[in-house]
Amino acid sequence: MKRSWYASPYALWMLLFAVVPLLFVCWYAFTTPDGAFTLANFQEFTKPRYMGVILRSLKLALYCTALCLLIGYPTAYFLAGRGFNHAQSLVVLILLPMWMNLLLRTYAMMTLLDDNGVLNAALTALGLGKVRVIGTEGAVLMGLVYNYLPFMVLPIYTVLKKMDYSVIEAAEDLGCNPLRVITRVVIPMSVPGIVSGVTMVFMPAVTSFAISTLLSNGKIRLAGDLIDYIFNQSSNPNRWNIGSSFSLIMLVLILLSIGFLRKVDPDNEGGGMW
Amino acid sequence: MVQDTRLIELKGVCKNFGDTQVLRDVDLYIRKCEFITLLGPSGCGKTTLLRIIGGFEMPSSGEVLFEGSDLTVIPPYKRRINTVFQKYALFNHLNVYDNIAFGLNLKTPEQLGVKTKAEKKKEIERRVKRMLRLVKMDGYEKRSTDALSGGQQQRIAIARALVNEPEVLLLDEPLGALDLKLRKEMQLELKAMQQQLGITFIYVTHDQEEALTMSDTIAVMNGGRIQQIGDPKRIYDEPKNAFVADFIGESNILSGTMLQDELVEFSGTEFQCVDEGFGTNAPVDVVIRPEDIMIVGEDVGMLTGTVQSVIFKGVHYEMMIKGESDGTLWKVHSTTMQPVGTRVGMTIVPYNIHIMRKATTADAVPVSDSGKEEA
Amino acid sequence: MVKTISAETRRAPADRATARFARWSANRANRLKTVRTIWMALLMLFLYAPILIMIALSFNASVSRSQWTGFTLDWYVKLFNDPAILGALKTTIEVAVVATIISTIIGTLGAIGIHAMNSGMAGMLINVSYLPMTTPDIVTGVSLMLMYLFCHVPLGKWTMIFAHIAFDIPYVLFSVMPKLRQMNPNLYEAALDLGCKPIKALWKVIIPEITPGIFTGALLAFTMSLDDFVISYFTSSDMYPNLSRIVYSSTKLGVKPTMYALSTLMFTTILILLVLVNKRTKLENL
Repeated sequence: MKRSWYASPYALWMLLFAVVPLLFVCWYAFTTPDGAFTLANFQEFTKPRYMGVILRSLKLALYCTALCLLIGYPTAYFLAGRGFNHAQSLVVLILLPMWMNLLLRTYAMMTLLDDNGVLNAALTALGLGKVRVIGTEGAVLMGLVYNYLPFMVLPIYTVLKKMDYSVIEAAEDLGCNPLRVITRVVIPMSVPGIVSGVTMVFMPAVTSFAISTLLSNGKIRLAGDLIDYIFNQSSNPNRWNIGSSFSLIMLVLILLSIGFLRKVDPDNEGGGMW
Repeated sequence: MVQDTRLIELKGVCKNFGDTQVLRDVDLYIRKCEFITLLGPSGCGKTTLLRIIGGFEMPSSGEVLFEGSDLTVIPPYKRRINTVFQKYALFNHLNVYDNIAFGLNLKTPEQLGVKTKAEKKKEIERRVKRMLRLVKMDGYEKRSTDALSGGQQQRIAIARALVNEPEVLLLDEPLGALDLKLRKEMQLELKAMQQQLGITFIYVTHDQEEALTMSDTIAVMNGGRIQQIGDPKRIYDEPKNAFVADFIGESNILSGTMLQDELVEFSGTEFQCVDEGFGTNAPVDVVIRPEDIMIVGEDVGMLTGTVQSVIFKGVHYEMMIKGESDGTLWKVHSTTMQPVGTRVGMTIVPYNIHIMRKATTADAVPVSDSGKEEA
Repeated sequence: MVKTISAETRRAPADRATARFARWSANRANRLKTVRTIWMALLMLFLYAPILIMIALSFNASVSRSQWTGFTLDWYVKLFNDPAILGALKTTIEVAVVATIISTIIGTLGAIGIHAMNSGMAGMLINVSYLPMTTPDIVTGVSLMLMYLFCHVPLGKWTMIFAHIAFDIPYVLFSVMPKLRQMNPNLYEAALDLGCKPIKALWKVIIPEITPGIFTGALLAFTMSLDDFVISYFTSSDMYPNLSRIVYSSTKLGVKPTMYALSTLMFTTILILLVLVNKRTKLENL
């Protein structure tokens, strides 16, 4: 038996449980419940109540990405810096949440921000009075940043860490003051990491599920929650088809952004997972 | 040509990294338009010395003066000194043109001697083009730096530094990564560039041949100290101690006794020499270059020995000859070959025998052959 | 006399400037350090305060989330007396163990097979593994659900296990592949040359060489399986909930301290597993 045949169970499994299901999504997206071809499923999303969710998802994901970049870049810069003794353990601490259950992390956030939660208890104790956080877009945004920040730090850190320090010295040598070293050399050279981080945060943020439901008591729905909602509309005979068409749009968006990422960063210098 | 003005002066410079002393009390001055090479094995402190001049390290103690005023307080980006880094350190997010223009872009139009921004752009273009011609890379403006060979990257790194018209160019083993043939070409080109531009080059290398080829002055370093400084011929012909003799070129180094002025004893034989002032019966080191030993008939030599091995080295043969008096293994270069096993005589003329005082400090003793490049 | 004084006065400002510069550059380095320390402290607070607070609340005697009324283990006792939660715990572990075993076998064999292929075919098969890693979890979940429903397979434990195997396999594959690439390619041939049959050569030579990678892969697969919420949510039903599902449905009924206890236990387990993984291979390189 040739050794390459050992890969056949792998190929079969991935075909059955990764490729075929996606074909089902495509099939349902373009058909009616009777199996006839249609594009009507995609038109559903021009309806204002769906459009509103999509626009809100895009907006919040955009804010989330911007905030993650703002917080994540300096973090990565500090971690990759020379003469930082605790960097290695801090990197692990910052990346750990990335691998931890999103639901649990969001649940923890909920506990903190709840009307009767720790934040409000602390504010009351300080005599500042309660604030309503849960249910606002702010809370959802905070939850998104909390969950996806490590995905921004990792690729930027990887790029900065790999950067040859003599390049920074060369910039100083050629007349850059410390600020210009950062704006003219460090940031431009870390663009692959930035692009990687932006994609790795923006995409899951757009498709995020459960985070917004939990942090808004179900009031604010994002794209991921919308898919869940559509599939659970038991009264709607089209629910599988409409849900699939929406899932397909998500998937295409993701694949497009990965294509974009590969183009900007062909050697995967950003060290992204993709 | 080298002028007498002292451009850079180091006084008692020391540098410690933690507990390790990398530089110990270095005194050195560098003159205008001088091509000076810091030569030594790896770990001798030569790169640290260069980095102190470049502003990337602060000396732990001591003074560094540039035209008489303190240099250590000036950050690297304000020094009129530019560096060619060991691994080139090109900016790979910029193309060749923008790499070279990098330093000029940071300057104001006034600093470039023009008034408007448009004029600045033109001026930069003119200067970059001129530099590309100087390093023989015209036509490569739009190339990505990743697409260049090592030699080409080196040229861009040199152009990028020189375009800023520094008073001093620092070069940190710039040719280390190139193959032998390219290295020889670049050595000549660098020397020509330095003479054409009339600026000071401070060059760091562990390759003694490179140092001898290009330099006006060589400072041989070991153990954080300058062992000897002087022009290449002097360093080669009159090494000050056994380390320098061993590091520069190939040589036979033997222990001997200075019996009296102009008379030395080694290998159980007395030799006439030209050195004086060592006193009588003083222990000394004796250096004899392999090409200074002449092979003669077995009965007429000052020493006799048997040929142990012969290697053809291109221009000459290198023979190891075992002396009969005390078993010393002599390295001899000669254009005529003697077969292995032949008994031969050897003679050495007095002025080819170099006498050195025995090293007193630990770090002046030859360390090891590591870092020594075979020619 | 006069000359000396004037020389000194001319030098003085320069000396002061020197000292000022030295102080300034030392201060700059110190300031940077301070900024860095504060920044990292705030970041750690942001990342870990919610988790730590939740852990603390799981030991809080009262139901209140704003008052500490004393230490208790009651919530943990309740947790282990709740049949629904114990059932979910059993499901979660069963799913993780079965999925880990099957995905480790399939993934390891897959890596060995792909390693022996020419690069075109291998590249294609490796790219298939990127598919579940790149597809958003919700789309993966929905797609599997659609397939199961279309084939009239009722959602339950096994549908969840099959889904878990599918997303675990890539982690095994990507842990084993590097080990195979590091392996001396002549080892296997040498074994054949010395008279080993191919299957035996695989067991005697290749498997021992890549065991660390297989182990890392299995550990990762197990962690991911325990950790998953979204895909499990779509591929199982309320009849066979796993722990994440229990936490999710309980949030709709208001917060219960038993859930804090449960979350604390899950966090701790996953944390320990991740630390183990990190010991074997740097998390940042995954």
